Amino acid sequence: MSSLCLQRLQEERKKWRKDHPFGFFAKPTKKPDGSMNLQKWEAGIPGKEGTIWKDGVFPITIEYPDDYPSKPPKVKFPAGFYHPNIYPSGTVCLSILNEDQDWRPAITLKQIALGVQDLLDSPNPNSPAQEPAWRAFSKNVKEYERKVIEQAKRYTK
Amino acid sequence: MKEGSVYDEGFNDDDDDDSILLEFESGSDIEYDDTGLLRRDPGLASLSDEESGKGGNNGYYLDGATISSRNVVIPKDELYENDGVPKLSYRCLTTDQIYELMLERLERIQPIFDISYEDIIVLLQQYAWSEERLLEDWTENRDNVIVSCGLKLGHEPVASRGIRKHANFLCHICCEANKMKTFTLECGHEYCLECYQHYIKDKLLEGKIITCMSCPLALKNKDIDAIMGDNSSQKLMRSSIKGFIQKHSNHYKWCPFVDCNCIIQVGNISTLSEFPRFHLSPYVVCDNQHRFCFKCGLESHSPGDCHVAELWVKMAQLESANLNWVLTNTKECPKCGVNIEKNGGCNHMTCKSCAYEFCWICEGCWAEHGGGYYECTRFKKEDKNGAVESKNAIRKYTFYYKLFSEHENSAKLDWSLGLTVEQKVKALQENIGISWIETQFLPESIRALIEGRTTLKWSFPVAFYSDPSHNLTKIFVDNQSLLVSAVEDLSQLLQVKEPQKIIDRKLEFFNKARFVRSRDKALVECGRDLLCKGICIPHQ
Repeated sequence: MSSLCLQRLQEERKKWRKDHPFGFFAKPTKKPDGSMNLQKWEAGIPGKEGTIWKDGVFPITIEYPDDYPSKPPKVKFPAGFYHPNIYPSGTVCLSILNEDQDWRPAITLKQIALGVQDLLDSPNPNSPAQEPAWRAFSKNVKEYERKVIEQAKRYTK
Repeated sequence: MKEGSVYDEGFNDDDDDDSILLEFESGSDIEYDDTGLLRRDPGLASLSDEESGKGGNNGYYLDGATISSRNVVIPKDELYENDGVPKLSYRCLTTDQIYELMLERLERIQPIFDISYEDIIVLLQQYAWSEERLLEDWTENRDNVIVSCGLKLGHEPVASRGIRKHANFLCHICCEANKMKTFTLECGHEYCLECYQHYIKDKLLEGKIITCMSCPLALKNKDIDAIMGDNSSQKLMRSSIKGFIQKHSNHYKWCPFVDCNCIIQVGNISTLSEFPRFHLSPYVVCDNQHRFCFKCGLESHSPGDCHVAELWVKMAQLESANLNWVLTNTKECPKCGVNIEKNGGCNHMTCKSCAYEFCWICEGCWAEHGGGYYECTRFKKEDKNGAVESKNAIRKYTFYYKLFSEHENSAKLDWSLGLTVEQKVKALQENIGISWIETQFLPESIRALIEGRTTLKWSFPVAFYSDPSHNLTKIFVDNQSLLVSAVEDLSQLLQVKEPQKIIDRKLEFFNKARFVRSRDKALVECGRDLLCKGICIPHQ
């Protein structure tokens, strides 16, 4: 791991501990030897109040590549997560996490977490990443909402 | 998906493409000189008359500045030869030259925009150098274009652009304190110079606008150079132009030869679609004398047309992985079937296990060969073993593929021979004291040899797809044999090393090279005949 990447991640951790949005959590994972792995984080994204997502806190992993912050981290939900813009593998399709689109080295963990939360209730039907959720979202909203609420109950706080 | 769309664009003749910055067929609305240049422009080198085109190529195009002021206009009746065969008009450029030409065009469009050159370059980068698309958006909503391309903030500026000095600055990218130098744009997002250098270095090869590390405000070329402390922005421009060329692959093509940086621009792309009808291919020659087909991007593949070449290459790719190794490395002894690896140059083989003597090329008995070595280009349909039909088909393919790859290997060797010719020329000048111009028969012979070999190589796919019983196919095969012996003769002659001997045999060089050229031409014509008459039918 480059020193630039490490240093920045330590700072990200410090900043997150000092201040993070309500209901969220994020912490680096542990390596087998018990030491902290700053390049892989586990985090929880709460659904926004007043939306069909409100009942859940959705687990994600955030993996930082060696050339972070030049390159964006990879954010993943559990495989098979039900959302139009999340790939079957769980990988999130979001412009600020795409190097060729809106990723900027200055984007912080807080911005990513809030961005992902935002995506939950405002999916983008123009860039579908999985078939079932996308189809339901654009053709059968009732069915979509039912499935989302059901999923949120599986990830309650 | 992205890749695919690039290719699609390459074959669609959409409106956008017609507005390419470097117009070739500039219409009459452009007041450039369109007379007198016609005859001198190598871009007009037609297929049959490329010799003269080559001559003009070097001197003319070395000077980048002279090109742009000469847009070539081709009168309709000059687009075709007498017999209706299409002519291709093209020129050879480098990325730098294309960039220069773009800049010159900038001068003409600058008054329309009324903003600085630097800003227009940013805009053009964003619009993939499509002036027309940019102009359209510009007239429609000027402010929107300026903001979306990152030339201006959506709000009032909060800082002044440039490098700043600090005593102790904490950079939020690398999270290091004690930074002395920083950079910021009008947006006020300030980061240390090292981080910016790192970031820009990563982005230079992408050829897209580089923005602030926090927001969409664009860095201009002078910012990039100031941060990097050199002229890095030129690198960015070069990669941007590369992107432009890839996007307009129906107008521009890279020379496919290794390490050649030439780009061919074709002016009258509408004629490209005319070539297949005549079973001809739109060949172009770059400034390094590399000849390739503009349509399929392969090296010269006559006498075959693009269709023959495409099918052959496809087939070779499917079969080649295994076949290649077996073919280049082993062969079964025709008598006892043991695998034999050829480890020397001679084609006269003696099987170690059964002592059978045979020819490596045709696997026939050596004793029967006698003087008729060149018989080997002939495929004998009647198989001694009387193998089943399907096996025959594979054998037939293997036979031609073998010849194809063997001539390919020879061509590669000749190519390296060609690289040493310059030293020979120099030796001639120094040791014998003759002028440069008098030594030119040497590179000329090499060219004839390499082109002859290439033609020969590609004649095997044509033979493979041709009806072997037809009389014309037999003539074609005879022509092949003639070219083989002509090429081998010349190849042998080029092995001569002593300068004095080379000069003594100058006339021989001339004659043999000329003979190769005429045999080459005859074989190409004959192959075209096979295609035109439907005797050679490429199939899966």
